[in-house]
Amino acid sequence: MAPSTQFEVSQPPNDVISAVVFAPDNTNRLLVSSWDRNVYLYEIAEGTEDATLLNKFEHRAPILDVCFGANGNEAYTAGLDCSVKRIDLSSGEQTVLSTHEKPVRCVVYSPQHSMLISASWDHTLHVHNTSAPASTPITISLPGKPHALAASPSKVVVAMTARLVHIYDLPALAAALSSADPASATITPWQQRESSLKFLTRAVACMPNDAGYATSSIEGRVAVEWFEDTAESQARKYAFKCHRQTAPEEEGGGDVVYPVNALTFHPVYGTFASGGGDGTVALWDAEAKRRMRQYQKFPDSVAALSFSNNGKYLAIGVCRGFETGMENFDSEGRAKVFIRELGETEAKGKGPK
Amino acid sequence: MGKKKRGHPDVEELLARPWCYYCERDFEDLKLLISHQKAKHFKCDRCGKRLNTAGGLSVHMNQVHKEALDKVENALANRQGLDIEIFGMEGVPDDIVQQHNQRIITNFYTAQAERHAATGNPPPGHAGGQGPAKKIKMETPEELKKRLADHRAKVAQIKANGGTLPVPVVVPKSQQQQQQQAQVPASVSPVAGQSPAQGASPFPPPQPGFPYPPPVGVMPGAFPPPVQPGVVVGAYPPVFPPRPTTGGTTLPHMPPYYNGGPPGGGGAGGYPGAASTVDELVSGAARQGGGGGDEIDQLIRAAEQGQGSKPPPGARAGEDAGAEKKGKGKDKHMRMVYGDSEVSPEEKMALLPRYAVAAA
Ligand SMILES: [Zn+2]
Ligand SMILES: [Zn+2]
Repeated sequence: MAPSTQFEVSQPPNDVISAVVFAPDNTNRLLVSSWDRNVYLYEIAEGTEDATLLNKFEHRAPILDVCFGANGNEAYTAGLDCSVKRIDLSSGEQTVLSTHEKPVRCVVYSPQHSMLISASWDHTLHVHNTSAPASTPITISLPGKPHALAASPSKVVVAMTARLVHIYDLPALAAALSSADPASATITPWQQRESSLKFLTRAVACMPNDAGYATSSIEGRVAVEWFEDTAESQARKYAFKCHRQTAPEEEGGGDVVYPVNALTFHPVYGTFASGGGDGTVALWDAEAKRRMRQYQKFPDSVAALSFSNNGKYLAIGVCRGFETGMENFDSEGRAKVFIRELGETEAKGKGPK
Repeated sequence: MGKKKRGHPDVEELLARPWCYYCERDFEDLKLLISHQKAKHFKCDRCGKRLNTAGGLSVHMNQVHKEALDKVENALANRQGLDIEIFGMEGVPDDIVQQHNQRIITNFYTAQAERHAATGNPPPGHAGGQGPAKKIKMETPEELKKRLADHRAKVAQIKANGGTLPVPVVVPKSQQQQQQQAQVPASVSPVAGQSPAQGASPFPPPQPGFPYPPPVGVMPGAFPPPVQPGVVVGAYPPVFPPRPTTGGTTLPHMPPYYNGGPPGGGGAGGYPGAASTVDELVSGAARQGGGGGDEIDQLIRAAEQGQGSKPPPGARAGEDAGAEKKGKGKDKHMRMVYGDSEVSPEEKMALLPRYAVAAA
């Protein structure tokens, strides 16, 4: 097995990283969004241990999330200035797709349905048909403030405050969008769940096989559950502690519990990685329910993770994490992006026994 | 050693064989053990390099692959730790050596008893046995027989005490474990006594799915109650999920296997007070398979079945019970680096002047 390598991107953002994401159609291309108001487009030079900064797209406000659109030349951003923007990555042209009443926390693109969904602290989702940019978006009211959003081929999962989790059916949303009067369409969640985690949700990621999703919380814990609403499927769900450290005995012992900021599923093997405020990344086998690997500690909190479309690379956004009591939070110059090239079977699980 | 393969090795021979701390396999000689350890337990799964110790592998993984070794591969669930440095037979803790020897002895007599039951042959040492007594190595057959007699006396004593175990003796592990299993439900089941939040947890307190080898020093366990003493958290959202509908009818929070072993495993056979001889006890334990039997044997079986680091269901009950106790104590000191469950870090950051949105 070829030894895996890891390198640091040479021109990282200057401030907190909100998202890292690989392109859907290009293994070497990735976007990084930052609170420094820029979106960074990098390309990994094949065979080298470097990623070149191809372009930088400045916004007028910090960017809380970024995703690719239909291909590697299109991106969407979630802005603290309440706007959802589309960026043409070739020309650099930015267009406002939608404006929320409060900052936009997350954006997610469904390639299967050509839909862009944004989640905002104004307690709404906006659903856009991106194949008809001028068409009316659907606004869905949420019972809580959304903090994490993820899409599988057929579902979108929204995690909110008060442990609320709504799952929407993407084909149903697509049908509503193409109806005569999308604005008046009544959208109800396909499922409403209570979060399996007791504390605030930090991240959601969906299984690439459309079977379920994982959530993580500020309290060093990850839950894995399945969409199917049968007793058997629901009995399979589980949660476990992670991203914790034992405090030294001199400090009274016990656990220091870190938020689990990032989750990402491997597109081929269905295993997943978690990244935490403890600066570690762990690889988990969701089926066999075991930890496969834990990577060497990074210099700061792990803020974001993404596997490339073929699972060859894992991008790791590392920066200072906001912790309780950090009134004078300053994270400038501490952001780093690491690219790990995985060994062929590094992320391959053993499957259930 | 190793000069004859025919017949059955005697117990001294078995006890003298080098064996592997990590997986309890035994070997003809020390060289084979060491190469086994290098191949099975100290091999880098990234580049195939074989190191001499777990510590050596840890350093290698760190330096060459920038990865942290968090456990020893292919080891029994409770032997995966990196805190013990093993090389061949060196470094094995005394209590583990004792446990190993005890297991060999118990298994030896189990096998012997079964052979005798099957063939009708008298045990060795008696007229017509399997040949002359071997030269004495560690413990003579007489000494072992004395131990057996002690067993019997202890068992009789247990029976006389109405099934109460006195001090831990050579009573087969299965017995202790069954007792443990029998106690577990009582200590976990009272739903009424739990805090509402705990009672309504979507996961049973000893999480059935808690499969991962815990990080060093962190025991997997029950969900802590939402607000811990000494934990800085915001007001907790007063929303609780509905009671789970899965699980047993009498113990709704118990995973199905919690009542002792998998169905058919025989682990829930109750306290074996009725068994009258050691042989019956040990062969009974052997018959019980997955549900009972020696703890180490269970782990080995589980490993052989490819369950890897997953503890077998039978072992889990006891483990979870322990983890829960430990977890409760630990959670008192739990410190969350971010403790606000109402307002996200991003919302707090958004209020900082440096992130203020420039006027359009
Ligand atoms: Zn071994
Ligand atoms: Zn190696």
